[in-house]
Amino acid sequence: MTPPARSARSGEAPPGLATRLLGWRLAPEWRDFVMGDLEEEFHARAIVSRAAARRWYWRQAVRCVAAPPPRQALVQSGDPADIFHRSPRGPFMRTLASDLRYAVRVLLRTPSFALAVIAVLALGIGANTAIFSIVNTVLLRPLPFQQSERLVRLFHVPPPDAFPGMKTFSVSAANFYDWKAGARLFEAMAIYRFRPFVITSNGHADEIMAVGAGADFFEIIGTQPALGRTFQREEDSPGRGHVVILSDGFWKRQFGGAPDVIGRTLQLDGEPYTIVGVMPRRFTVKAWGATSTDLWVPLAYTEQQRAVRENHNAQVVARLKPGVTIEQAIAEMQQISRTLEAEHPKENAGWGATVIPLQELIVGDIRLSLVVLLAAVGLVLLIACANVGNLLFARALARRKEIAIRSALGAARSRVFQQLLVEALALAAAGGALGLLLARVVLSTGRALLAQQIPRADELSIDTRVMLFALAASIVTGVLSGALPALRAGRTDLNETLKEGGRNDSAVGVRTRRLLIAGEVALSVVLLAGAGVMLRTLVALRSVDAGFDPHNVLTMRVSLPEKRYDTPQKSRAFFEAALSRIRALPGVVSAGGVDDLPMLGGSVQPIVLEGRPELLPRDQPTVEVRKVSPDYFKAMGIPVIRGRDVSDSDTEAMLVSRAAAKLLWKDEDPVGKRVTLPLESRMVLKQVVGIVGDVKQGELSGPTQASVYELTRSENVRSLTLVMRTAVPPSTVAKAAADVIRSMDADQPVEDIRTMNEVVDETLTSQRFSALLLAVFAAVALVLASVGIYSVLSYIVRGRSREIGIRSALGARTVDVVRMVIIEGMTPAVAGIAAGVVAALLAGRLLEKLLFGVSAHDPFTLFAVAGGLALVALAASIVPAWRASRVDPLIVLRGE
Amino acid sequence: MWFKKGSAALGDFEQLVLFGVLRLGEDAYGAAIRQEIHQRSGRDVSINAVYTTLDRLENKGLLRSWIGEPTAQRGGRRRKFYALRPSGVTALRQAYHTLRSMADGLEGRLETK
Repeated sequence: MTPPARSARSGEAPPGLATRLLGWRLAPEWRDFVMGDLEEEFHARAIVSRAAARRWYWRQAVRCVAAPPPRQALVQSGDPADIFHRSPRGPFMRTLASDLRYAVRVLLRTPSFALAVIAVLALGIGANTAIFSIVNTVLLRPLPFQQSERLVRLFHVPPPDAFPGMKTFSVSAANFYDWKAGARLFEAMAIYRFRPFVITSNGHADEIMAVGAGADFFEIIGTQPALGRTFQREEDSPGRGHVVILSDGFWKRQFGGAPDVIGRTLQLDGEPYTIVGVMPRRFTVKAWGATSTDLWVPLAYTEQQRAVRENHNAQVVARLKPGVTIEQAIAEMQQISRTLEAEHPKENAGWGATVIPLQELIVGDIRLSLVVLLAAVGLVLLIACANVGNLLFARALARRKEIAIRSALGAARSRVFQQLLVEALALAAAGGALGLLLARVVLSTGRALLAQQIPRADELSIDTRVMLFALAASIVTGVLSGALPALRAGRTDLNETLKEGGRNDSAVGVRTRRLLIAGEVALSVVLLAGAGVMLRTLVALRSVDAGFDPHNVLTMRVSLPEKRYDTPQKSRAFFEAALSRIRALPGVVSAGGVDDLPMLGGSVQPIVLEGRPELLPRDQPTVEVRKVSPDYFKAMGIPVIRGRDVSDSDTEAMLVSRAAAKLLWKDEDPVGKRVTLPLESRMVLKQVVGIVGDVKQGELSGPTQASVYELTRSENVRSLTLVMRTAVPPSTVAKAAADVIRSMDADQPVEDIRTMNEVVDETLTSQRFSALLLAVFAAVALVLASVGIYSVLSYIVRGRSREIGIRSALGARTVDVVRMVIIEGMTPAVAGIAAGVVAALLAGRLLEKLLFGVSAHDPFTLFAVAGGLALVALAASIVPAWRASRVDPLIVLRGE
Repeated sequence: MWFKKGSAALGDFEQLVLFGVLRLGEDAYGAAIRQEIHQRSGRDVSINAVYTTLDRLENKGLLRSWIGEPTAQRGGRRRKFYALRPSGVTALRQAYHTLRSMADGLEGRLETK
């Protein structure tokens, strides 16, 4: 050693903290040279000024810490064996890369393990991603309209006594124009109506749905047309309104997307309409009829039509002024309604108004279902985490010797933890990537199916937010499933582990794993209970007596164009002829017609009994009014309880439902009584000829409404749904029946050919959607939980085989051994079931609103789920128990 | 590797460091090089930058290094010395010539005289 050059020493030491920082940050191979250089120069500078030297030293240290010289190649070998030998103080990011490489290599060594874990995680993350992307599209993404958060729809609130259970109602034209004149908080409001047209092109007739749009309709929604223009204000007047705007879909279907379509004409109901514009594709939001129609024409109400106050049949869309809240808007509308009630007591008494955000209206019904599904699928992921955690735990224990050796050689516990966690994260990342792919496949293949179940399904896509969700789900999954095993492995007792020598057979960490099992089982109970009550809801709804017999019934809608069928006689002649021909078809038992099928809603009108005064609309009883042909009840399977069915020889006859009879006549016999429907005519008296059974005109879960059915001669009923009861499967009659219509009028379209069972099913789609998905999730949970129990028990049995061997050698019978193992497995399962039942009771509140005919706390379901899970746990314990009973004491003890 | 073909273009700071090593001869270690650059060019660079560059130049094959004995004024720490390899001299010469020939005849306009 060279003699120390004392002259150069200042007697002052460089700042300690800075030196420590340097020591921590610098790679060992640089530490000597850099720190030595700095200290040397520090001493030289300190002779001149200590303070300046300290400042200089700090400055240098900070720069070194910010960007230290790189590690040298020799140490960057990436040798996996070297991993735990590295400086435990190595910065996290630097070790992360090598941890990752090591993790991949280790996992590749046991591909079946890695694949199993990745598959479970991909399922969990994939299902979560798929559900989230639905939530994202439906609930989170704004509607594709300009500042859509300010778009609202306005409704009447009908008098509750006359319209029990109805919260919103269509708007009458006169009231709309008064609202528009009186409201201050709205930028604009527009009235619109759905309006069917028969369109003729190349001698072919089709029924098509259009929207009659009042002034400002397009300005309020704020979407620019793709071609041409929207309507001008003066076109919303009679005589000026023969212009039409096409939807993107119609434009492509009918004109092949021709760019020169502007200025051409369409024949609608036999009259020419000039095409002035084409809306872009994004304008069409399937769940909102006003934009998902084929065509828009100006509403073009006459002064007379604008003055109609009693007939509530129009829709209203509006845009709030910036900064106006829904509550303020509602308050204003209520104020205006009160004024209108006072001004027009006869028509408006009891009629209020309300404002609902467009977004709420489009997705409102599905929101709760989606939240429930997201929660459920989250539980599935938690179960998957517990399962993977279990697997990783077993693996960490199998590797505990390797880990112990590393610890003995100086690896800090945090490094072991980090390494194992990185392994779990690598698995989760692979699972997440695969899951994202899975979600994509599921969404694109299931899009058609989803379109029937949820609004805005056509907009479904995996965007950045969904990707971020998948990433977050992967990270959370990795941490959740990896943290516990990694922590536990880091705690391994060095001495004990190394002393065990080559043996690897004592069950370690059993308590942690039992906890995981109990958690898994508990979560499964929650899911199964949820799925159970949803399925029972479906069953309950399906077994509600709708009042008719939907089996073997075919329905189809025929709408006659006004031009050619301009009198009641012409329409009636057509339908009578069609029905008699259909009745003659082979396989058809009976056939009739109705304007609106049960369960699909329809006209609700006040009714006045002969000899009683007409009351204010608020106090006047209302009934569902359907127009029927003779034999409708026979075809639909609705019983005629008293009196008789209507017949072709009647003029103004009416049947009333049992509920209507009770509502209107109490205990009197209604047959022979006469009534008027003032909205149709105050002059025409209709005679009740019979009582029929009650029918659900709305939702199956809703109340039974009082209904009347009229056979009318005085009104021109041009749209009728033909209903035929068949002796053969109904779909086999469909073609023949449609041919009957075509043979009578080649230009006459036939719409909506479907069986009555399909009609019923379609009203249950949202419940079925939730129930189906919940059932799938619950099934996955059940499988995961039973696999979890099985694997843990197998592990425990393997670990205790020596003990079992000794017990057998000492005279324990097979039964005792089996019982012991089964109790071992059932204990955490039963604890989990108990916890799960409590959790299910708490979670039930979320479901309550989605249920019908069953309580969220339905004891039967809970018992069934608990019992079922107990059986599954038992089944999962049997194989390990059987294996334990076959332990040969000789072999085990010889292994000593 | 590509730099062994002698086509290595030296960076500005690399040139300073190599000149420092050349100038200091047997005594070229981090702190000495840092001070040399500071005194001659006025650039008060940090020690980590010097060592990062020395390390890179050594990896490029332009420098060689050896480790000295611990000394007391360094708190008992060792020094790491550097010297130019022939390829380092070539690279430095090339850089110098490049600068010279680019600057040739421009002294007046750069007002260096």
